[in-house]
Amino acid sequence: MNVVLFFGVAADQTAAQKRFSRTYPATKNVRLQLVNRSGTIIVEGWDRPEINISAYLEAPSATLAPQSLSGAIVMDLVRENQGRNIGNVNFTIRVPRSCVVDIETRIGNLSVTNVSGGLVRAVVTTEGDITLTNIISAAVDAQNGIGDIFFDGAMLGGGQYRFTSMRGNINLRIPLESSFRLVATAPSTRNIDLGPFRGSNMRFVSDGQRVAGKAGEGASTLTVTNHRGSIAFLSR
Amino acid sequence: MTCDGCQENISLFLDNELDEKTSLAVQTHLSFCADCARVCEDFALILDSCKVDLPAELPPPNAEALWCRINNIIESEVNSQPVPEEKPRGWFGRGFTLSQLASAAVAIALISSLLTIVGVRNYFEPTGEDFSLRSDATQTTFEKVFSKIGLIETPQASRLKRLKEQQAAIEYWNKRVQVRRAQWDGKMRDAFDRNLNEIDEAVTGYTIMLEKNPQDGLSSEMLDSALDEKMNLLRAFSEL
Repeated sequence: MNVVLFFGVAADQTAAQKRFSRTYPATKNVRLQLVNRSGTIIVEGWDRPEINISAYLEAPSATLAPQSLSGAIVMDLVRENQGRNIGNVNFTIRVPRSCVVDIETRIGNLSVTNVSGGLVRAVVTTEGDITLTNIISAAVDAQNGIGDIFFDGAMLGGGQYRFTSMRGNINLRIPLESSFRLVATAPSTRNIDLGPFRGSNMRFVSDGQRVAGKAGEGASTLTVTNHRGSIAFLSR
Repeated sequence: MTCDGCQENISLFLDNELDEKTSLAVQTHLSFCADCARVCEDFALILDSCKVDLPAELPPPNAEALWCRINNIIESEVNSQPVPEEKPRGWFGRGFTLSQLASAAVAIALISSLLTIVGVRNYFEPTGEDFSLRSDATQTTFEKVFSKIGLIETPQASRLKRLKEQQAAIEYWNKRVQVRRAQWDGKMRDAFDRNLNEIDEAVTGYTIMLEKNPQDGLSSEMLDSALDEKMNLLRAFSEL
């Protein structure tokens, strides 16, 4: 009976989902711009000169119409579905490693892996975790409301890195030899663990609410703000 | 892209009239530069306000009579006699004695030397690390003097001004959210409420800290940041 019920539910879920899949040729400097309403977004860098978009659309299905505009793939599900009640849209997108990635969702988890384009921007307006793994980019911006942020990557000279959360844990895993100027602020918890970057060039200010200082020559800028959560550094 | 370059292009960016490359450069800059992002928000706000249908411009009650009055004023100004130019009399002609002039010169020299010494000392006072903790306590003497005589705003005054602007924007977006809210599903409403509550709690916390210590630069900065978050949340959900 249970087995029958399980298959019944699975079949029902499958029937309620639509699948979308499309592949676009891509140049080296291609840009992916995606604004989702709710659902997960997984972006993975690969070695092919093309962008492959695969999405599962839960009922009621959203309108999804990617546009290929002079070197950019643009999807804005918020604009395309304004005023409509739609289900989650869960994306898995494969992009060339050098792709500029700019993704945003109102609710849901975001994950970007193996990307080394000029910019990686990941924004969750409300709730969702952001996981950025093996990112080698000169500009990284991750922001969420409630949820964790994890960054694993390199920090390039002259780069700008910004991580902002309202509540959650921000964990940054970067090479020990990284060179950056840091302003890390956790005013509510005062929980800032510099890990391997603890040292004389870093100083706690405002009763431990903020750490400001320099690692190495201070070649890049790192700004971390967690209003009601913790910040921790790990060695890569 | 520099801030100047970005701000020059913001209007075109909002109108989608930039080429792809410049648009990307502006977007990238906006994602990192809070000042330019604020300018962009203000522009967007203005554009949105312009889109609201305004009542047609009201004509003056008697346009012809008004125009006649303006015309008469212009004609009377044109016909009036030019005032004869007064010949410059020079310093001595104005009745200053040599000793008064000498005293004034010494006084000017003294004041300027004093200001230079104070200025040089203060130049080194604010450290680079204190940029984000700006409060009345970190003001240089020049800034204190200028703000006292009303030439520049005190940090507290500019903070209040900014707070008012943010509150006005929040009110504006909140009204739009209230209109849209009924169309969201339960999950979206719950997530929105939880996040708004989270931000409001943070705002309350920073406000209490500032009430206890109005010179607390970090709480002021965090309050500013939390209000920005609130504005962004409301704006993002007003589009749904």
